[in-house]
Amino acid sequence: MAELSDQDRAFYEWQLDVPGFGEAGQEKLRSATALVSRIGGLGGPLAFSLAAAGIGKLILVHGGDLKPSDLNRQILMHHGALDSPRTEAARETLQRFNPHIEVEVVAENFTEENAGGLVKRADIVFDCAPLFEERFLMNRECVRQSKPLIDCAMYNLEGQVIPIVPGETGCLACLYPEVPPHWKRRFPVIGAVSALIANIGALEGIKLLSGMSGVNLNQMIYFDASTMQIRKIALKKNPDCEVCGPR
Amino acid sequence: MKVTFAYTGQLAGAAGTAEEEVELEVGTSLAAALAKLTASYGGKFAELLVDGSGATRSTLLVALNDEQVSGDYDEVTLTDGANLMVMTPIAGG
Repeated sequence: MAELSDQDRAFYEWQLDVPGFGEAGQEKLRSATALVSRIGGLGGPLAFSLAAAGIGKLILVHGGDLKPSDLNRQILMHHGALDSPRTEAARETLQRFNPHIEVEVVAENFTEENAGGLVKRADIVFDCAPLFEERFLMNRECVRQSKPLIDCAMYNLEGQVIPIVPGETGCLACLYPEVPPHWKRRFPVIGAVSALIANIGALEGIKLLSGMSGVNLNQMIYFDASTMQIRKIALKKNPDCEVCGPR
Repeated sequence: MKVTFAYTGQLAGAAGTAEEEVELEVGTSLAAALAKLTASYGGKFAELLVDGSGATRSTLLVALNDEQVSGDYDEVTLTDGANLMVMTPIAGG
């Protein structure tokens, strides 16, 4: 466990006073590696909040170059980075903001080939990817390697977060046993909504990593920003799940 | 009896509303209520709810009074004032 330095105490003193977090929670966070895939509208602000909280290491997984249509929500990016790799803009933003954390970038998306190795290097995975094929890969690997997964999603003015802890909760495949045929890569959303949902996901992850209570296991946290209503849906494990069920 | 249906994701767009109160006969099952809505809306709403064989899509999440409903929807009897959420999958980006 990474012991806190006086400098750490100076940076994080406001959150060290949070009941249930304290120095012990900060040390756990400081010792943890979080993988975020991808670092767009959800993953970007989520990674930013983890950096602010003093996570030990971030692994940012996202392929491709920045496009104009990314800039309404991908707040780790900037207009000057158009047509260059998203991961480099993200690394620059995060390291400028907090040079005391480690940031590793992987300029590709989750694939069958890299999924196992990527998840192996993380203590927790934040799923912010737009394609269900990638989300299912992360879910399968997290279940296989018993790593917690915070599943984040958004659409229009709404979003949802599902904390998944293998052995304690169901998994993403319990909920969605197949790729939804109508889901489209391009969908409507306002950047403020993605940042809001991202920060719910970041908080659930911080609670898990630091040992705080109140993690919403076996629940979906659903937020509707059109009415500012939050609902929690009790989820059930699927006993016949092909990923986390008995085989 | 009256029950409230909330729709999320693509389904809310297809319904043209995020929430509505629906009048149903006492003793109506969840399956029958969904069938009634599917027939009433048709089009994209029906496509999102049921597959080509008429079966409810496996990726649909239905919550009754904020609890996920699993198993056979025919076996779930709705009661007056029930609060349902019908959710289509969403992702990141």
